[in-house]
Amino acid sequence: MHKLVKRLFSTIFLVFIIASAVWGYTLTREDSSSSLETITIGYQAGDPIDIAKTRGQFIKKMKKAGYKVVFKQFQNGSAEMEALASGNIDYARTGDTPPVTALASGSSITFVAAGSSKAKGSGIVATKSSGIKSISDLKGKKIAYTSNTSSQYMIMQVLKKAGLSTSDVTLVDMSQSDASVAFAKGKIDAWTNWDPYTSSAELTYSGAMIVTGTTVGASNRDYIISGSYAKNHPAASKALIKYLGQDMTWANTHKTKLVKMMTKSLKLPKKVVERMVNRRSYSLKAVSTKATSEEQAISDSFYTDGITKKKVKISKYVLNLK
Amino acid sequence: MADTILSIENLSKKYQGKVALNSTNLKIKNGEFVALVGQSGGGKSTLLRLIAGLEPMTSGTISQNNQLIHGINSNTRVMFQDDRLLPWKTVRENITFKKPKNSETAEVVNQLLERVELQGFADAYPASLSGGQRQRVALARALFVNPEILLLDEPLGALDALTRSKMQKLILDLWQERKMTVILVTHDVHEATKMANRIYVVKNNKIEATFENPLAYPRTDATCTNLSTTILNKIIDQD
Amino acid sequence: MQTLEENPHNIKINLAKILTNLLHYLLPWTIPTLIIISWQLASINGLIESTILPSPWQVVQTTITSLQSGVLEQNMAISLYRALSGFVIGGSIGFLLALCTSLSQTLNLLLDSSVQMLRNIPHLALIPLVILWFGVGESSKISLVTIGVLFPIYINTYHGIRSVDSNLIEMGHSYQLNSWQLFWHIIIPGALPTILMGVRYALGVMWTTLIVSETLASSAGIGYMSTNAQSFMDMSTILMCIMIYALLGKLSDLMAKSLETSLLNWQIKGGMING
Ligand SMILES: Nc1ncnc2c1ncn2[C@@H]1O[C@H](COP(=O)(O)OP(=O)(O)OP(=O)(O)O)[C@@H](O)[C@H]1O
Ligand SMILES: [Mg+2]
Repeated sequence: MHKLVKRLFSTIFLVFIIASAVWGYTLTREDSSSSLETITIGYQAGDPIDIAKTRGQFIKKMKKAGYKVVFKQFQNGSAEMEALASGNIDYARTGDTPPVTALASGSSITFVAAGSSKAKGSGIVATKSSGIKSISDLKGKKIAYTSNTSSQYMIMQVLKKAGLSTSDVTLVDMSQSDASVAFAKGKIDAWTNWDPYTSSAELTYSGAMIVTGTTVGASNRDYIISGSYAKNHPAASKALIKYLGQDMTWANTHKTKLVKMMTKSLKLPKKVVERMVNRRSYSLKAVSTKATSEEQAISDSFYTDGITKKKVKISKYVLNLK
Repeated sequence: MADTILSIENLSKKYQGKVALNSTNLKIKNGEFVALVGQSGGGKSTLLRLIAGLEPMTSGTISQNNQLIHGINSNTRVMFQDDRLLPWKTVRENITFKKPKNSETAEVVNQLLERVELQGFADAYPASLSGGQRQRVALARALFVNPEILLLDEPLGALDALTRSKMQKLILDLWQERKMTVILVTHDVHEATKMANRIYVVKNNKIEATFENPLAYPRTDATCTNLSTTILNKIIDQD
Repeated sequence: MQTLEENPHNIKINLAKILTNLLHYLLPWTIPTLIIISWQLASINGLIESTILPSPWQVVQTTITSLQSGVLEQNMAISLYRALSGFVIGGSIGFLLALCTSLSQTLNLLLDSSVQMLRNIPHLALIPLVILWFGVGESSKISLVTIGVLFPIYINTYHGIRSVDSNLIEMGHSYQLNSWQLFWHIIIPGALPTILMGVRYALGVMWTTLIVSETLASSAGIGYMSTNAQSFMDMSTILMCIMIYALLGKLSDLMAKSLETSLLNWQIKGGMING
């Protein structure tokens, strides 16, 4: 009797496990309304693409235009650049730095669109206990940054502005999640990063933003980057820019809704999201000459500092849709 | 009764050039109980394995009922010192093994188990049996197919004295009931003299001596002592 | 009358038995329970900052909301699908490969040293290659699990078959079993304990590999949930995922164990056949 119950139980359990796995399988199959051309877009949590994805309009409009959009979330820009190079994704939203280093290492990528400046939300946050009030106080301090992100350019520009060299401070290259723990525990004095990490550091860990991108001319724009796909599919690129642009306009005019939406999807405190949203604006347009020259400046500065080994002319890689 | 069942002529076996058995001749009559004794490494097991067809011979012939043996000899069954029961099969499955399961075979198994006093153990796994019980299962398994010749390679070597003497009696009884031929390899000369009609001393890879043992059954220790001493002397004799 | 006299004694014995049984069940849980209780207390008293380590109760709440929104179930189902298909594919390949190399000397010479060479590559080092070959979709995650599972199954099956008691195989020969019977009645059961050990180990590898593979360009799965939470310091979700890993690990171990007890019941002293 006992044996029978046991057997019955294991059978039910097995059926349950297999049924769950089958359900999981069906979940991974995106609905294949397949006559549409599939476009795969890489993004990072909380970025403009994430907004468009969560809002849901973009995917519908693209469908009407004949494209099926698949989103893939990445942890950082370098991973997106790799996926672009191997053709696993068609477009990617990154910050300003990963495309510069990718170009210098010989990848063939294209700037498809640029966003508006996030200079106010990007900068250096100092811990309360560090006693850092201005950039000149950075001397001798321990500063975290993340290589191959906008924070690398930021810290270089800030040091230049303060008249300090890299040997005057202790630079530690850390991932965002490691750095946020280190910051919270006071293991580092200052942290070079961008929203929502900066606002989170300010509000949750009572840090102070001692310098922003505005002061040192680091805009930290969003960019939409593509491999060879954008060049070969101008119509898709046009539709993408147009509809993403519309979502960005919506974001600018519906900030309360946006805050609510992002608070939920990012699982961050509301005040953090609020600060992030309110100190930036949203847009995605064809790449302007201003954006191009900013990227050129990053590229040149990385080359001079020996971070990259190749001089690159950015304007050659900007998509011209005319 | 007097006809030859097994006839071995000039049988030799070499393992990688090393002699294990050297041109041996042997004739065994139907229904005899024969024992092989002798020094370790003398070639007793080799001889038994050749008869069973477990090893190819190097030269010579073995014939059973005037038929040459090559390959597995299916008219014999071997029982070893280790029981070689399959741990994942029950006692019943171990005994029937290849035979289809029907009521007839089930009946045969039940009778056999009863004979070796293991009734009620048909569905037990070997892990739950004692060493003596397992050897009795192995014996039942060997008898299940009614072999003409039962080959025993030190089957009782690992058992305690009491179980051992019980098993000796059981084997003798079964031999007499079934009128089969038995070849027993043993280290224990006393066991050989108590059980066998004839005893061969295997030494230096061949049969060195033969002793007839016409004593009537049941034999007692006392009646066997003289013969045992003679055989033992022959074994340790340095010539 | 006699039964009446005996009863109190019996009850006493039964009670003692039940108590020791209960103790056996409860004892393994005491340390985890104590840790959780003291953790909760420390959180309530503010000894542990909730941004660094949320309280168990917060984790429970996160779990409940994730369950209510259906997010957790979906991600678990997707992870389960990846894990199981990787396991089935890798397990079968490893098993068949091991059959080839352990049963045929020629195939052994041909394949075994190559497999042994590949086996020593940490399979997570293959991630870049797997992405290049299989992209960032489902197939890359499944194939990573496949590779992770393949080797332990291979090694254990190979080893299990190779170390089957040769006396038993000879016994099979003397019963004139054909190759198939020999394989099915002697070699496989003989190798089964070792193979199942491999299965148990492979189940562990399956989960760890899956979690890593789900941090790669993923948009679903438990591993994704945890990395996603990590980038925003969502500690309670991270802890929830860790709990789920522990749970899944324990669950698969239990499954392997019950598989062992049901397939290897002949190993238990006094074990009787099921029927
Ligand atoms: N498979 C084998 N490979 C190589 N040599 C073997 C093999 N089997 C037996 N021999 C050798 O053949 C000789 C005879 O061995 P056998 O097993 O027949 O002796 P035995 O009389 O049964 O000894 P024991 O009383 O110790 O069992 C020994 O020298 C042994 O080393
Ligand atoms: Mg021997």
